Amino acid sequence: MGFPKDLSQERIVALITVAIFAMASVALPGFFSPDNLVAIVRSISVLGILALGMAVIIIGRGIDLSMVAIMAMSVAWYLQMLNDGMGEWRALALVLAGVLVIGLANGFLVAYAEVPAIFVTLASASFVFGLVRSQMIGSDAVPVPAGHWLGHLGGMRLADVPVEVYVFAALAFATFLFLRFTKWGRYVYYAGDNPAAARNIGMPVRPMMVLRYVLSALIAFVAGLLTAGSLQSMNTRVVNSTQLYDIVLVAVIGGIGLSGGKGGVRNVLIGAALIGILLNAMTILDIPLLYQNLIKSAILLIAIIVDGVLNPRDEQTAQQGDI
Amino acid sequence: MDPIIRMEKITKAYRGVPAVRDADFDLMPGEVHALLGENGAGKSTLTKMMAGAVAPTSGRMLFKGRETVFASPSQALDAGVAMVFQETSLVPSMTVAQNLYLGAEKPLNRLRGIYISAQQFLQSLNFPVDPAAMVETLGAAKKQMVEIARAVHHNAAVIIFDEPTATLTPEEKRHFFALIRRLKARGVSIVFISHALEEALAISDRITILRDGEIVASGPTSGFTRDSIIAAMVGRALSGQLYRERTEAGVRPAGRKILSVQDLSQGAMVRNTSFSIFEGQITGVFGLIGSGRTETFKVVAGITKRDFLRGGSVVLDGRPVRYIVPRTAVKDGIVYVTEDRKAEGFFETMSIAENLYSGLLASGHNRAWLVSRAEMAGLAADWSRRLNIRAINDNARVVELSGGNQQKVVIGKGLIQKPRLVIFDEPTRGVDVGAIAEIHELINRLADEGLAVVVISSYLPEVMNLSDRILVCRQGRIVEEFSPAEATETRIMYAAVH
Repeated sequence: MGFPKDLSQERIVALITVAIFAMASVALPGFFSPDNLVAIVRSISVLGILALGMAVIIIGRGIDLSMVAIMAMSVAWYLQMLNDGMGEWRALALVLAGVLVIGLANGFLVAYAEVPAIFVTLASASFVFGLVRSQMIGSDAVPVPAGHWLGHLGGMRLADVPVEVYVFAALAFATFLFLRFTKWGRYVYYAGDNPAAARNIGMPVRPMMVLRYVLSALIAFVAGLLTAGSLQSMNTRVVNSTQLYDIVLVAVIGGIGLSGGKGGVRNVLIGAALIGILLNAMTILDIPLLYQNLIKSAILLIAIIVDGVLNPRDEQTAQQGDI
Repeated sequence: MDPIIRMEKITKAYRGVPAVRDADFDLMPGEVHALLGENGAGKSTLTKMMAGAVAPTSGRMLFKGRETVFASPSQALDAGVAMVFQETSLVPSMTVAQNLYLGAEKPLNRLRGIYISAQQFLQSLNFPVDPAAMVETLGAAKKQMVEIARAVHHNAAVIIFDEPTATLTPEEKRHFFALIRRLKARGVSIVFISHALEEALAISDRITILRDGEIVASGPTSGFTRDSIIAAMVGRALSGQLYRERTEAGVRPAGRKILSVQDLSQGAMVRNTSFSIFEGQITGVFGLIGSGRTETFKVVAGITKRDFLRGGSVVLDGRPVRYIVPRTAVKDGIVYVTEDRKAEGFFETMSIAENLYSGLLASGHNRAWLVSRAEMAGLAADWSRRLNIRAINDNARVVELSGGNQQKVVIGKGLIQKPRLVIFDEPTRGVDVGAIAEIHELINRLADEGLAVVVISSYLPEVMNLSDRILVCRQGRIVEEFSPAEATETRIMYAAVH
């Protein structure tokens, strides 16, 4: 009795995070050092930024599987244009236009053509990858041109903390303000809870949906710039990696219900903290990558099951626009 | 004769709050037993315990004289207790015969074979249903017949109906009652949950009334009257106020014409319909299910689009309008209060305050970009008081409220938008008697304040009691208009059927 109400998923995950953190600090040498803590935060910054975009989409009862493709391919194309000698502003304008077009196309297909988001974004991910890889760039990895601002960005630190941590913090705060205090942010929750009711009461449900996919595409581009900055290149093989999976993992494990209308930035932060600490501890323990994936997938499964138990969706809800 | 089901001191509590408390209930073989009560009185919980869908917290149940605990609905079904739910549990993409034999197929399942035996079985029940028809193509009444046939096919000794007549037309209801009598003649015991008191009085042998989880009255139907049932349900006598006859003097005159609809068409459901709506009075719209009344007003409120070609015209305040989304209609002051509040009315995971606030956020009067928690709390307190919304606490989620309070929340979030034309679609469906009186009072008050009010209802006493003029919808168009003075139940019904 009382279990579902008093122990929300968010609290369970927060407790587990603290427990793992405490255990790792005691048991693992070097875990609780300032350098390692900064490394943890840095490692989850890009993931966390992507998860913020995914969270806004999921709260609105959608999903965006094209984020990693947009992140990698937009920046790869941008770097390629710079390497080919194009001017900074022209390249930036072109790539931003491309990102906007993909976001708009995703949003339009989901909102107006009413194609399930999971298929639209799966297809657009392949499309973006295929188009850019075959037509616009010459090799899998595109380096950041020497002397470019992105190259400096990667090495930049403020008070010993890498710059992407600040970007993550700023975006998290901005997303928090948007979801919590703006009218449009609240619309996301209403539309996620019951799209038909939101439409009837006079909310612009479909335009808002398009806006969310545009936002997630832009956030993916920002995450891509930070990735390229820290690695000095953009490797497009990341599209076929488990990164997309990690984004969903962070969002869902923090307690953002896949049935929509639930969760917020706090859930992303908790999810990111758990995943960051876990990955770092596993790396220190030298657990092979394959086993790491096994552990992550087990955690995602458990999170989705717990989500299903805590946020049951009845038949009627499930019938209206599932992901 | 021994009862087939006997429940002794049965209690079901959710998180310590009893939904049913110390109930003693018995059901005789071959008896039709009506279970009445306001929403949230515990009728559904009580029957779900009989059918194994809910486990009792304490107390015991005897089935055919032996103490029994059903672990699941399928176990209850095997033992002979079947429950027919309001939302049917049939598989829409399968045929009637396949549904009948669902879960009971032989290892080698010959379709032709089951069609033949299904045909014979349906004929033996006198059900005019084609066994080869897809379930999704059937109407509500025929779907229910299939459900019932499935229950009988499982040799159910007890069939529980949860609000079986809510979605049926009068014609279908007559068929349904005939069926109940036939089942009874076969010795089947029937439990019948209903909001329609006349039906319970007409069809049942015994009536049990629940209030707040307790059985407050039980006895042979002959010992009850409409008034005594209502008094027992609400614990006070108010039936005199509800559905009283309309007096000539109380009829409000038509104000300014706010809406005029000419030759409106939309799909197959709305065909060349024309009518006008006036301020300061209640226009009642009566029609059977499938007559296109809801569809007509959904076009008016911008929820669906009228036909692009030959769609007719809608004129609001002398200005032609063609809404593509409800948003523009809301800005023009048209609010539609849905008949299906769960699917398209309220936000179920959210609190009462957030639900009410949605109306203000989305209204045309709200220019603010930021939301304010203080404003939301103030709004919620104000409107909860105005509409007398009762909840366990302020943070209660709407899904946890009773039907009447949910409906008040849905109405409230519409009224917050300061509409000039309010369309209530079945405003008291699935609402308890006490809340019906309050909602009717509210609707009357809105008209007195000068709003144009439309009330769509398939319940004749409601239409006749509320309306200052009555429109009758049939086959996609408004076919007749009555003043309250000339309207009688027979005349309205005569216009509504074809």
